[in-house]
Amino acid sequence: MDQGRPDVFTAYALKLCDGASPHSGLAPIRLSYESLHVTLWSIIVAANDAETTNKVSALIKPKEHFDFFHDERVRSFLYQFLTACAVGWVVWYLVSNTSHNLEVRGMNTGFGFLTSSAGFDVDFKFIEYIPGQGTYFDIFLIGCLNSLFVSGLAIVGCTILGFFIGILRLSSNWLSSKLALTYIEIIRNTPILVQVIFWYIGVFSFLPTVKNSVDLSFGAEVFLLNNRGLNMASPLPGDLFWLTQVAFVVAVIGVFVLRYWSHKRQDDIGKPFPTLIASSALLAILPGGVYLLTGSPLDWDIPTLQGFNFVGGFSLPPAFLALLFALTIYSAARFAEMVRAGILSVDKGQSDAALAIGMRPSRVMVLVVIPQAMRAIVPPMISLWMDVLKNSSLAIAIGYADVVSLFMQTTLNQAGYAVEIVAMTMAFFMTISLTISALMNYYNKRIQLVER
Amino acid sequence: MAIVTKQPTPPRPAPLSESSVIGWVRINLFNSWMNTGLTLASLYIVYVAVSGLGVWGFSDAVWVAKDRRECFAISVDGACWAGVVSWIDNIFYGRYPRAELWRVNLGGVLLIVWMAPLWLPRVKAKIFIGLSAVFIYPFLAGYLFTGGDKGIFMQTMVTVAMVCVAGNTLHAMIGVISGRSLPEFLIGFLRMKEASEKNQRNMLLGILSLTVIAAYILQMNWSLETVSWTKWGGMFLTLVISGIGIASALPGGIILALGRRSKLTLIRVLSISVIEMFRSLPLITVLFMATTMFPLFMPEGFVLNKLVQVIIAVCLFYACYMAETVRGGLQAIAPGQQEAAHTIGFGYWKTMGLVVMPQALRVMIPNIVGTFIQLLKDTTLVSIIGLYDILGMLRAISQDTPWRGLYREPLLFGAIVFFIVCFIMSKYSRHLEVKLSTGHKTGNE
Repeated sequence: MDQGRPDVFTAYALKLCDGASPHSGLAPIRLSYESLHVTLWSIIVAANDAETTNKVSALIKPKEHFDFFHDERVRSFLYQFLTACAVGWVVWYLVSNTSHNLEVRGMNTGFGFLTSSAGFDVDFKFIEYIPGQGTYFDIFLIGCLNSLFVSGLAIVGCTILGFFIGILRLSSNWLSSKLALTYIEIIRNTPILVQVIFWYIGVFSFLPTVKNSVDLSFGAEVFLLNNRGLNMASPLPGDLFWLTQVAFVVAVIGVFVLRYWSHKRQDDIGKPFPTLIASSALLAILPGGVYLLTGSPLDWDIPTLQGFNFVGGFSLPPAFLALLFALTIYSAARFAEMVRAGILSVDKGQSDAALAIGMRPSRVMVLVVIPQAMRAIVPPMISLWMDVLKNSSLAIAIGYADVVSLFMQTTLNQAGYAVEIVAMTMAFFMTISLTISALMNYYNKRIQLVER
Repeated sequence: MAIVTKQPTPPRPAPLSESSVIGWVRINLFNSWMNTGLTLASLYIVYVAVSGLGVWGFSDAVWVAKDRRECFAISVDGACWAGVVSWIDNIFYGRYPRAELWRVNLGGVLLIVWMAPLWLPRVKAKIFIGLSAVFIYPFLAGYLFTGGDKGIFMQTMVTVAMVCVAGNTLHAMIGVISGRSLPEFLIGFLRMKEASEKNQRNMLLGILSLTVIAAYILQMNWSLETVSWTKWGGMFLTLVISGIGIASALPGGIILALGRRSKLTLIRVLSISVIEMFRSLPLITVLFMATTMFPLFMPEGFVLNKLVQVIIAVCLFYACYMAETVRGGLQAIAPGQQEAAHTIGFGYWKTMGLVVMPQALRVMIPNIVGTFIQLLKDTTLVSIIGLYDILGMLRAISQDTPWRGLYREPLLFGAIVFFIVCFIMSKYSRHLEVKLSTGHKTGNE
């Protein structure tokens, strides 16, 4: 309550000032401007003083009676209470309707159906599943993994492609810059669903038949593209292959150590260390050496044509390829714009200064501009990644077995249990999104500390 | 020898290697080895794309044909646009009865007439024009599109809408010509400028009620044939869904964003959970939820049609996206603005409505339009759950017997239509942003 008092005085003081200002011809109080200020200041200081406040309030006698409907606490309680009642009523209404409807329609409820076996097959899966024996929960897992798989690859693809196009967009080369702009505008202004369907039925259905597959590996016949998808060789690890994997992990750790050490060395003696060459060498030599020493324990399962289809190897269905292409190309266009905005947000003085101390333009980009641009790029980039995961649900339009088409459509049509299935699918998306946004908030807080 | 001249030497023109076309090409395209390589690569891409698409889509394309076979007979390698051309009515209007197409067209024209004054200079009270377009036009359009018997409520709304159209148009014309508003003009016309304010007001109310009565009588014997919503389709359906979505997403988003910044804990928590829930879900799952769960939510025997379910889902979903956009704008406004408004005695709604929101909305224009574009594009998802919007119609062409298997051309046509609409919208938002910027920078450009 005490907070309000000085404001009254300030307002009063301002009024006085206004009346006595030299610009208005009629000065009600003949005082010099300076001395008026001093007087007013002392009034304000006095007003803040508790004792004077009491004296003054005794003089002014403000209307301090308790007005029920204009009290902030009462109002805030009332508003919240009313909202709670309204929301509670809506929830109760929906729940009671739903349970009544479920009862009337004789629909079963509960998550018991997850352990019963599903009768349909899935053409693209990462876990063992036999139709008739696998359960609906397996179907859910297959769907989740398929969604994550396609969106993971699309995220990697769109980040690389988008970064490249964003840089191209900023290039001093007029033609390349305009070409990148054309790409971005065309892709961004057409619906992604149209693009997904176009890639599926406009491109990947027009590929040659299995017999006339296109060989993408220049005669080695390990990557074969046809209208049934992409057949490729899959690795068959031998007995001692785990040693190579261990060596690879050790090499990765080594790269991190090397990076840390070279940074420290540069800080100490100011000489850069060729980290890139050294770490690539480490990554190549260590696992490669172990692999050769253990006697090359890795075979390749190469797809071979038997009858009308390929046997062996790993195959990706056309729907997967179409979705991957569409997601990558669509998101790359959006990411390119983010990269461009991020790089433009770095003050030009930064690169000028770096050039002035004699850095090469490529190093200016890598060491000065991009690290600062990342601050502006990363937050929208993460939400773009989440959008990729969400857009992967468009698989339903072309029949790729993702969580929505497999679980929310096929399983829902076969088994019923609408409420449970919708809830589980939503839970899948919400878990991932909320986890990522929590990490995001953490990251934002961290970089905000760095900001000046 | 005089080396001092009285005339200043005129500046010489820049050397030809800098100023001519060749100079520009050298500086912009061939100034280093890398750029030369890039230029050549880009030229190659442009050549391949333009020549390939040009030959396929234009020079070898078939524009008029009876069916796909005839297309092939004329040109094997070219695009068969004839299929798109013969389906063009379906693509834009769906299966709306052909004799009634004028209703859809009239609805579109009325919307343009209604909204046009917003872009005209010297027209006053634009906020009322905008509000009436959002809250009254839908009733008129709804009646035009569905037809059938109108109840007393619908009759009233149609009457009000008619009066609004007439008033709007007159108001805009008067505004452009003389810069006055309609009531001012009427008072001037009736020579009542000297009359008391009360008389003036009564006069205006009298005129208004006379117009309303006249309009009511006029519309009483209008009757339109019923057109079921199942016959709606094509671009028309896309625009109906996205139009309603756009009109409701912004107010919904503003309310949710204010809720998210509210001091009242319960309201804040509720807003946050609604926003975060919808934003973490793909639109298609929300649409599925709408079609599978809404029938369960409703009391027994009450059936919402699919179109309404979809529209509700789209509105809810995009209100949440809009809320985040609006929040971004609100955060860009310095807290001093709000404090200043409180100091001069504004309450919460006045502070928000008159001080904070106008500034925030101006900052947000590009993002709002971006969300609108996103909404328009995502409306195509309704084709997955079985509504025949423009994408549904485009895909249906390949199921039509004469055009069986025609996939690419319809999809490309759809992409071009969307591109034109979305591109114009985004360019216009850039223009608005420049026009409305007041000089001080709020973002980090």
